[in-house]
Amino acid sequence: MKPLFHINIRTALIAALLVFAPVLSAKAQDSRIQMSSLDHLAAKASQTIDVNIDQRLMLLAAKVFDDKDEDERQIKKLITGLKGVYVKSFEFETEGQYAAADIETIRTQLRGPGWTRLVNVTSKKDGMLEVYLLFNGDAVGGMAVLHTDDKELTVVNIVGPVDVDKLAKLEGQLGIPDLGIQSPKNKTKNEQ
Amino acid sequence: MKAIATWILVVAMVLTTANAVSAKGDDFNSVVRMIEQFYRVKHVGIPFLAKTGMKVGTTVARIKGGQARRIAEAGSIKLAVFEDQDFNGDFTKFRASLNEAMNATWMPLIQTLSGQDEEQVYIFLRDAGDKINVLVITIEQRDATVVQVTLSPKNLALLLKDPEGTGKAITQEATINDQE
Repeated sequence: MKPLFHINIRTALIAALLVFAPVLSAKAQDSRIQMSSLDHLAAKASQTIDVNIDQRLMLLAAKVFDDKDEDERQIKKLITGLKGVYVKSFEFETEGQYAAADIETIRTQLRGPGWTRLVNVTSKKDGMLEVYLLFNGDAVGGMAVLHTDDKELTVVNIVGPVDVDKLAKLEGQLGIPDLGIQSPKNKTKNEQ
Repeated sequence: MKAIATWILVVAMVLTTANAVSAKGDDFNSVVRMIEQFYRVKHVGIPFLAKTGMKVGTTVARIKGGQARRIAEAGSIKLAVFEDQDFNGDFTKFRASLNEAMNATWMPLIQTLSGQDEEQVYIFLRDAGDKINVLVITIEQRDATVVQVTLSPKNLALLLKDPEGTGKAITQEATINDQE
């Protein structure tokens, strides 16, 4: 008598694909950075903001923004093609509430292949601003912004084709905090 | 026989995965129960609220007949209120439990925690065909509200543009004081 559960390799592979396909597709969003390592800071923070606009919500947003409304048309244009917007922001009452190791968990990811730091982007706000772009060949696949101050830590991660101008226009919309981003072009314009 | 057994195994594996992400019953009531269990508090029923001067949005919608600008679709509001009770507990633990419970069927939009006021606000969205269900949970030091509403695409745009402000407006709209 043959064993009841004798599985050949092909069938096992199909089964494995069926089971793990959702997991694999989720991993494909490589410009999504993991920010859950910062969650513990919520207990120390005076204000925590956590925004999650994933691809499902992005598609929904693109549908609901009305072309007849100038403001909404602009936002719709800006978010077209984006796959997600994720924000974690912490404000603290006193200095020294977050450690260098906390920021390092984010920076480590941004040292990965494809990520490039833009050195010429500044902020009107106090503190340090770091802007990183993920390049997939020539195309931009995503962006990460790290804003740190003595009493503040903000990480913004935009998944999909985005540039600094787009980010600057999206500030204050979709839960993205106002980081006072000044792109090189804007800066030159202001200086003139 | 071998082929049948193999496919039973394949189907079982797929179903196991599907079950892990399936919807969980009535989430509004589950959230209310979760708050009650975590913080050891009790919510106030709607008839009691009506007697004490607070009316739910569904009543207001019927009286005003759409004259006032409304965010929630008329008749779509579910509301639970917790009044003058202690919400002492580790909010990071509550938040983790809530997110885990809601993860299967709801999309988290924005969550804000204010250490100073001990205020927590959670906004979740769920696709409801042409419209969208929104669940706004607000927990303060002594009070809390859980509001579920249905939004039109137009008002969903408002919520997406300004999640924090529109979320607060949804809660305010659902708990309108009789004396206005």
